Amino acid sequence: MTGENADRIFVDRALRRLPRSAPSARLEAALMAGYDAWNIERKKGAWTAVKAGVRGFSETIWPGTPLWVPASALAAALLVGAGLGAALPVVTAAEQSGFSLEQPGRFTLFASDMAPEEEL
Amino acid sequence: MHDPDADDVAKAGQGDRAAAARLIGRHAPKLLTVARRMLGTQTEAEDAVQEVFLRLWTHAARWQPGKAKFETWLYRVMLNQCYDRLRRRPAASLEAAEDVADGAALPDAGLDEGKLGQEIGRALEDLPERQKAAILLCHFRELGNIEAAETMGISVEALESLLARGRRSLRSRLEHLKGFIGDG
Repeated sequence: MTGENADRIFVDRALRRLPRSAPSARLEAALMAGYDAWNIERKKGAWTAVKAGVRGFSETIWPGTPLWVPASALAAALLVGAGLGAALPVVTAAEQSGFSLEQPGRFTLFASDMAPEEEL
Repeated sequence: MHDPDADDVAKAGQGDRAAAARLIGRHAPKLLTVARRMLGTQTEAEDAVQEVFLRLWTHAARWQPGKAKFETWLYRVMLNQCYDRLRRRPAASLEAAEDVADGAALPDAGLDEGKLGQEIGRALEDLPERQKAAILLCHFRELGNIEAAETMGISVEALESLLARGRRSLRSRLEHLKGFIGDG
């Protein structure tokens, strides 16, 4: 028998000794009360539907976490984006390409390090 | 693939109380067992299960069958609940729990079934959370490796690695009790 297999058998035996937790009557009642409360909210109308939609969306992208976790992640991403946008220098289209509509580009046959003909 | 919960989830989402009761009856016991072993206390496990069902009702109205198996989603929410709660705990209480969980200090002789269960439970609680989750999903939820990996959002190879490390570690922690448990 391999070591891994022996470990698996040993652990399975050990875990069988653990008592299984049965939900108490109090817990079952609390779970049904939770359902009833949700059902009442559901019937209340559009605002509830919007909140449930947000919560449902949150569940889809990050299941099992409170709403503030994905909201904080989004807010942090927005802050970083805005911070970078504010910190970086503004570069105009003209600076970026050397051309603009107001000042069309000029070309010369001479490279910048060569003297133009009339100066010779 | 037929999802045995799909009908009840859809009905519960439309306000069918009996469907909600069926979902509770079907899933609460195993969810509670897994949460109890993940978190270590019955009270916190019950709180976690309540939170999971509240999320279920919210999600039930827009549940789309066929997208993912309902039970896989449910246990993923459960695990995330447990991870959140474990991470919110102050470090001091974890260290204290580790001290208590040192089973080698307890005498082996005269160990009754209740104490044996406590010892095993403590050794399990001491495992790193992902190893513990892998073992619990495979043992208590009786999942195959593929489904357990899907529930944990990891590859099958990663799950197998977690299982192997977790079982090895658990076995070494319970080595002094092998006379009571039976050797592998």
